[in-house]
Amino acid sequence: MAAWMPSPAAEPAAAATRPRPDKKDDPRNPIKRLNTFFDDGTLELITAEDSSGMLCGVGLVRGIQVVAFASDASIQGGAMGRAGCEAVLVAYERALADNVPIVGIWHSGGARLAEGVVSLHAVGEVFAVMTRASGKIPQISIVIGAAAGGAAYGPALTDIVILGPDGRVFVTGPDVVRSVTGENVDALRLGGPEPHGRRSGVVHVVTETTEAAYERGQLLCSLLGDQGTLDVGAVQDRDLAATFPESARRAYDVHPLVTDLLDDAKQNVELHPRWAPNITTTLGRFGGRTVGVVANNPMRLGGCLDSTSAEKAARFVRMCDAFGVPLIVLVDVPGYLPGVGQEWDGVVRRGAKLLHAFAEASVPRITLVTRKAYGGAYLAMNSRSLGATRVFAWPTATVAVMGAVAAVRILHRRHLAEVAEEDRTQMENELAAEHEVLSGGLQRAIEIDVVDEIVEPERTRSAMAAAIVAAPERRGNHGNIPL
Amino acid sequence: MRHVVMAEMVGSVFEVVAGAGDVVEPTDTLVILESMKMEIPVLAEVSGVVAEMTVIKGDVVNEGDSIAVIAGS
Repeated sequence: MAAWMPSPAAEPAAAATRPRPDKKDDPRNPIKRLNTFFDDGTLELITAEDSSGMLCGVGLVRGIQVVAFASDASIQGGAMGRAGCEAVLVAYERALADNVPIVGIWHSGGARLAEGVVSLHAVGEVFAVMTRASGKIPQISIVIGAAAGGAAYGPALTDIVILGPDGRVFVTGPDVVRSVTGENVDALRLGGPEPHGRRSGVVHVVTETTEAAYERGQLLCSLLGDQGTLDVGAVQDRDLAATFPESARRAYDVHPLVTDLLDDAKQNVELHPRWAPNITTTLGRFGGRTVGVVANNPMRLGGCLDSTSAEKAARFVRMCDAFGVPLIVLVDVPGYLPGVGQEWDGVVRRGAKLLHAFAEASVPRITLVTRKAYGGAYLAMNSRSLGATRVFAWPTATVAVMGAVAAVRILHRRHLAEVAEEDRTQMENELAAEHEVLSGGLQRAIEIDVVDEIVEPERTRSAMAAAIVAAPERRGNHGNIPL
Repeated sequence: MRHVVMAEMVGSVFEVVAGAGDVVEPTDTLVILESMKMEIPVLAEVSGVVAEMTVIKGDVVNEGDSIAVIAGS
C-alpha cells in the first residue's frame, strides 16, 4: 500500500517546483470549462463532481439545449477510468433522449493505466456509444489540451473536431515514439495544430486561442442544432461573378464566392480549410437556414479533384445528409488530378467515396456550374445522374467530357499528325470549334436535362433559394463514419 | 529566415511576375503556372523580400520543385 504513496520527504520538493493550485482556481477545473462553454448561468450538472476525471452537464448554447462533458485534467492528467467513461455514457444517453447536440471538451492522456483492462474496456464502451449516436445527434469535440490514445479516438469518432492552440492529438506520445522507433519529436510537431490542420485531416477547425475554440464550438452547435427555416424573401440577389477573373483560364480563390453566396461571413465555419484546400467545405446560413457548401477552389491544384479532396468532401456531404442540412455545390473543375502519385494513393477508391456520398444523399442538393465541369469530376460534383435536386449553370459555363482541344487531339490524332507542324495549332482550333458545335456543350446539356436552367450570376441566389424551398425536407438515415 | 516557395503540382511557367529584390506580401503572385489548361498563380505565402527566382518562363516544374526563395521579414 505504501509503495505507491509519495514519501513525506518528496512531497514538499514536488510542491515547490509545481505548486498545486486550489481546485476552484485551477483553469483545468471542468466546471470552469463547462461554464465557459454554456450560456451564462444555464449549466446544470448531470454527474457528480468527484474523482472520476469527467464531469457532464446540460445547458443552453446560444439559446438551444446542448449536453457537454469535460475531462478533469487536474486528476491524473484527465485519464479515463471506468467511472469517467460511465459519466460520458450518461451524457450520451441524455443527449440521445433529448435529441440535442453533444460536445466533448477534451484534455486527457487516455485510459487510466492503474485500472488496466477495466479502463480499456470502458473507453471502448464510449467509442461504441459515439458510433451508436453517429448521424443521429451532432457530436462536436473541442480539444483544448492533450488528447492521447483513447482520448484521441474519442474526438476522432465525432462529426467535427476543433483544436485549440494547446490541443495535441496523438495515438502514442513523444516518449513512446522515441523509445520504440528512436524518432525524436515533440508533442507539437507530432500532434499539434500544424500537422492536424494541414497534413492529417484529423482536425476540422484550428483556432488561435482557447476562447475561439469554444466560440467555434458554440457556433457549430447553433448551425447543426438550430438550423432555422429558409426565408426566400430574405435572400437578396447580388452579382456572384463580381470577383471572377476576366480570363476563363485564370485560376482564382473561391472563398469570396462562398462568402458572397452565404448570408453573413461571421456565421460561416469552414471545415478543413488547410487540408485538401483544392476543395472547400463550409457550413453557414442561406436565407437564415443552415446549408453546407462544397466548392472547387481553382487557386489550389487548379481546383482538380484528388484523393484527399474527394475524401474530405465525401465526409462533409455525408455529415450534412445525416443532419438534414441542404447542400449547395459550386462547380469549377478541370478534372481529376492525373499522375502516378494519385493512382497509387487510391484516387479510384477514395474518389468513389464522393460518388457514393452524393448518390446516397437525400437532402436537397443544388449544383451550380460557374465555369467548367469536365469528365469524371463533372460526375462527382453532384451531377444530375447522381441525383442532384436542381442543376444550374452560368451562361458562359462549359460542360464536357474534356476540353475541346484535348478532345480533338484524341479524336483526330491521325489527321493532325499529317498536318505540317506550323499549321497544327490552327487546325486544332478549327476542329475544336467544330467539335464544340457537334458535342453541344451547355446547350446539349440542357436538351438532355443534365443541366436544368441557365441562370445569370445576378439572380443565382434567389434561384437557389427557390430550388431548396421547393424540394422536400429530408435527411439521410445513416451514421457519419469518419471517412 | 528563408522561405522556399514550391510548386504544388506539375506545370510549366507561363509568366514570371516577381523578380529578385521585390518586397512581397503573402497574397502577391510570384509566377503563373500553366497546368490542367489553366493559369494558376503561385503566391508568396509569406511577407519578405524575394531573394531569388529559381524558374524562368517556359520551365517545367514538378510538385515540390522550388519556384522562389523569400527572405522573411
